[in-house]
Parts: sequence; structure tokens; C-alpha cells
Amino acid sequence: MPVLRGVRARLAASLVALVALTAIVLGVGASWFVDATLHDRALQDAATQARFDLSVVVPERQLPVPATLDDIVRSSLADTFRQRGVETIVDLGSGDPFVSRTELVGALDQFPADLRDRVARGDLAYAWLDVAGRPSLVVGGRAAGGGPSFYFVRDVSDLAAAVAQLRIALAFGAVALLLVALLASRVVARGVLAPVEAAARAAERIERGDLSARVPVTSRDEFGAWAERFNRMAAVLEETIRRLEAAQTQNRRFVADVSHELRTPLAALVAEASIVGAHLDALPADSRRAAELLVADVGRLRGLVEELMELSRFDAAAEHVSLERIDLVRLIQAVVASRLSSAIFVPPAPAVIVDTDPRRLERILGNLLDNAREHAPDAMVEVELTPRDDAVTIAVLDRGPGVADEALDRIFERFSKLDPSRHGGSSGLGLAIAAEHAALLGGHLEASNRAGGGLRIALMLPLDVAEPLPLGDDTETVRRDAGVRSATTEPDP
Amino acid sequence: MDARILLVEDDPSIREVTAIGLRGAGFTVTTASDGREGLDRFEAEPFDLVLLDVMLPRLDGLDVARAIRRTSTIPIVMLTARADTIDVVVGLEAGADDYVRKPFEVPELVARVRAALRRVGQRPEDGGEHLRFGPLDIDIAGRTVARDGEDVPLTRTEFDLLTELIRHAGQVLARDVLLDRIWGYDYLGDSRLVDVAVARLRAKIEVDPASPTLILTVRGVGYKAAR
Repeated sequence: MPVLRGVRARLAASLVALVALTAIVLGVGASWFVDATLHDRALQDAATQARFDLSVVVPERQLPVPATLDDIVRSSLADTFRQRGVETIVDLGSGDPFVSRTELVGALDQFPADLRDRVARGDLAYAWLDVAGRPSLVVGGRAAGGGPSFYFVRDVSDLAAAVAQLRIALAFGAVALLLVALLASRVVARGVLAPVEAAARAAERIERGDLSARVPVTSRDEFGAWAERFNRMAAVLEETIRRLEAAQTQNRRFVADVSHELRTPLAALVAEASIVGAHLDALPADSRRAAELLVADVGRLRGLVEELMELSRFDAAAEHVSLERIDLVRLIQAVVASRLSSAIFVPPAPAVIVDTDPRRLERILGNLLDNAREHAPDAMVEVELTPRDDAVTIAVLDRGPGVADEALDRIFERFSKLDPSRHGGSSGLGLAIAAEHAALLGGHLEASNRAGGGLRIALMLPLDVAEPLPLGDDTETVRRDAGVRSATTEPDP
Repeated sequence: MDARILLVEDDPSIREVTAIGLRGAGFTVTTASDGREGLDRFEAEPFDLVLLDVMLPRLDGLDVARAIRRTSTIPIVMLTARADTIDVVVGLEAGADDYVRKPFEVPELVARVRAALRRVGQRPEDGGEHLRFGPLDIDIAGRTVARDGEDVPLTRTEFDLLTELIRHAGQVLARDVLLDRIWGYDYLGDSRLVDVAVARLRAKIEVDPASPTLILTVRGVGYKAAR
């Protein structure tokens, strides 16, 4: 059921995609917001602190102007700031700035010029920088009334770590969400698809001919209603088919019964007519003509009843094949001699030995010859035998009017009398019977119009080469080739 | 030809018209309308041939044939409703020598009856001849076969089939040849007649009918007697 798997995959994919998108938007948004908020707050704090330090703390120490490195050290300003977690760089304008820690030596030169310019102009300025290998917030400014530029370096690596941690937590959350989404999609898919799968199984059983298949009604939702509707449809279908089959069986039984009931009076009629027919000369002229017609009509009735009975045996599947090893050349010669001795048959080999049901083959060939005789009276009829490795073709060819191309297939239908020029005792069942026999032998009949006019009806007869008959119980004169066996049937002198 | 024929047939029309036809052909005809009556008639008078419908009330034709075969080798021709394998083979196995399919035309039936009777009357020139065939001793005139001194009861068809094969020992006789010579069919007889008769013959004369040594099958062709 690839379609159902497809639905399941699509459901899972869309749910996961939805959850993933949500998680990404939420995660990116949240981490950006938290990151921005934390930085903003740190900056506010640092700026407030710096303003306070520059306007209150630094003037308190009353540094001389211009201050020297020693003045700064003596003022112990750096110690005061460090207590608040802030390192200090003081640009004395001499190119040798004060640094509160040895790691900060040279850091000032790496500060952006923009920052230093603004601080030199007396503004309070800041920058997020890597200082001595640590992420830091640098806030610079000058005390009210001039003096050196102070840079306060605040280590913000805890800030970055907090944001990183948040991101990891968010990622874990997203993965967990995706797993939940996958699981949920499976559960939902199973719930949604179970009735569909049950319906598919039921439909499959119906397709195989089990019309009693039903869908279980497990819920009272839309699916439950749908299942009930499906079951009602299946029940109606089952009932309809059952009625049709019963009608067909009844119909066929009726035909079988009728033909069977006709048999005994028909047998009497045939015997009686044969005696009347033998004494036609003894009858007065008027009665004689009537008697002649009677004899002919009894013959027609007989043909029709016998063919109907034959067909009803096919319908009842009461026909069985009994295989024999026979010589097709001999069989064709015998059938031609008895049914249409004017037909021309040139054997392709002295003998063509096959395993088949000779009585059915006689029936098929006889009916084809009868058809040729009625269809093309007085025209030349030929019989062709073409043996191949795994099949034989026996064709009857006439030079009659042929059949319209679009009607070729219909000539094997029951009571098909397509050609108004056909006459004689044809019931229209002969070819249908031949086709049934051919099917029983595993073969089929094919009709085609011949170039130059006339009809060709061919029996394609496959030969079962997989199961050769066991060897004879004595001197075997049969030479075994693939499927068609040629044999010398000349008796010993 | 003043042969006496017992006709057992339940349908009055068929019985009457068949009797008319047979009488017209010169036979003496006795009729019976069911199996029981047919058997009673058979036991009461001598006949030369029995015509037996398969579907009969009281006692069906197959049972009648089997009962007759217990005491007699008289030719039995079955009148079968269908030419189905089962009907024909079962009839032949019950002991019938030939069958005529219904509906039949009277001349066709008369021809079959004559063919069956001809075999009974023919070969007076064989008088006194004895044939040896393996363990079998065949008395042509008396139409009896003995195996190791013990009588083997053969029907006329079986006897004729056996002697025909022995007269051409070592030579393959095709089914249609046998149909012509034994049953008198010119062409397109039912080869099951031959097969069933051979099977019945083997059952009587072979030590192991499943692997015969006297009457051999030549697949796709026919039969021959071992030389």
C-alpha cells in the first residue's frame, strides 16, 4: 500500500516541518531578544556607573592637571573600580597609558579610533570588544572639567555564556519537540489511516471475489459513517451479484433442462424420420414433399438441440479433457474425409505426434470445416497444419466472401449469424462450440480475412512440453523432439 | 438373416420405431421396457444380440450388461444418451461390445447391429484351427481360450481382437485399423472402443495387466501382440 505509506510520510513531514519552523523562529527570536536585553542592561549599568565614576569618584581624588602615571597609581582609583569588577585603562596622552592589569598592556592601541576620538572630545562612548582574549564592554569618558581619558573594561564573558547556554537549551527543546511531533504524527496517522487500511483490505477481498468482506465500524466519527456507507454498498453489491448469478444459473439450467427434455422425443423423431426418409417413394406426391421437409427439419432440430446441450455442458463446467498421444496428420485426414472430402490438406510431415484430446480436436476441426462449407459453398477449402516447438496451428482457409473486419471477433459468439448469405443448417453455434473446445485445450481460435478474399480460421494449440508422457511400455517408435514429435507409423512388413 | 434381437428401451416411441426398423431389416425383435423385464426375457429365450438403453427404470442398462456378461458372450450394443467419456467407457467396461449414440437413424443402428452379428457368423473356414500364443491356447472354431489349461471366458469382441492381434503378431495395428477390422467402422470410430477392449482383454489374459507382456501398446499408434 504505497499510497498509504505516502500519506503517513507526508503527514510526518509536514508536522515535523511545522514544528521545526516554529522552534527555529521561537529559538532564534528568544535568543536574540535575551541577548539584546542582557547586553542592553549591561550597557545601561556600565554607562550609569561610568557617569557616576567620572562625575563623582574621579573628581573626589583631585588628580593634578595634567596627571602623571604616578598620580593615577597613587589615587588607587583602579582598586576602587576593580572592587566593582571593572578594570581600568587611563589614556594619559603620553602614549604610555595606565593599566590596572598587566594583561591590558597594549589593549588601548587596539581600541577603535572612533571610540577614542569620541572619548577625547569628552563624550561618554562604549564598544563591545575582545580585550586580552575576553569578550568585554569598554566604556570610555573624561571626568567633568577635563583630565585624562578613562576606559572601564568590564568582562562580559558570563553574558555570552548565558546566551550560549540559553541557545543550547533551546536547541534541546527543539529536538525534543521534533521527536514529539514525529511520534504524534505516527499516532495520528495510525488513527487516521487504520480505517483506510481496513477499507483497502476489504476492497481487495471484494476484488478477489469475496463479496462478504466488510469494513469494521470502530468509531462514530466521519470514518464510522463512511464505513457504514461502504458496508451498505458492499451488501447491495453482494445481493445484486448473487441475484444475477442465481438468474444466470437458473437460465442456464433452464436451457440445459429444455435441451435434455427435448432429447428423448428428438431421439424418437430422428429414428422415425429416418424410416420415413427411407420410404419416401412409397408416398403420394404431396405427402412426399411434406415428408422430405419433415426429415430435413428433424435434422436441423437435432443439430440445434445437440449443440445447445453441448454448450450447456460447458456452462456447467462439466467438460473434462482426456489427453492421448495421437498423430495429427492422421486425425486431420480422417476428419477431412468424413466432413468435407473436397478440402485440400497437404501434411507438413509424415506424422505429427502430439498429446491432446482427439475428440475435442475432431469437434473443432469438424465445426471449422462445416463453417467453411456453409460460408463458402463450392469454393476451395484448404487445411493447413503448422507444427512448431511449443504449439501447433491448424487453419481452415476458404475462398468465400469473408467477414467484415470489425465483425471478425463476433463470429465466435453464440447464435452469431453475421453473414446474410449464409444458409443451410447452420445454427450459429458451431464456431462458439469450437471456441469453447479450443479454450478447454488451452488454445484459442483466430479469424482473419485472407488476401485475395476468403476467411481463415486458425486454431492455436499450445503443447505442454513440460510434462512429457512416460515412455511406452514397449518398443517406442516415437522420436521425441521438443513438443511436436514426428513418428514413423508404418507397420512392420 | 433371421437373427433374434432383444431390444431393451423404456421410451415407447423409440422402442416401437426401432423395432419397426429392425424388423424391416429382417431381424426378429423382442422388446422389453425396463431392465428387469429385459433380463427376464434374456433368460427366457435365446438371442443373437442385445440392444440395451443405458438409462432404464428398475435396473439400469449397465447392471443388465454386467448380469448378462456373467453367463454369456452374446454381443451387446449400448444405446447411450451421450457420447461422454464416462458414459461410453463405463458402458464398455460393463461388457458392451459397441455403442450407438442417441439420437440415431435407424439405418445407422442396423449397420452397427449387422457389423456386430457378422463377426459372430464369420470365419467358418477357421474350423479346427488352434493357435498357440505364449501361455494361451486358442480354439478358433469353438471360440474358446485357455490359459495353462484353464478356460478364459472372452466376449466375442475380445476374442476377435485377440485373434486379430495374434494373426499379425509383432506387427503394429493402428487403432483405426482395429476399429475397421473388429468393429466394422470405416473411419472415425471411437478409439475408446479399442482401448477399453484391450484393457478388458489384458485383465483376463495378462499375469499383470499393469505391465503387459502379451498385448503391447505402441504409443500414439495402436497395439501389437508380442511375437
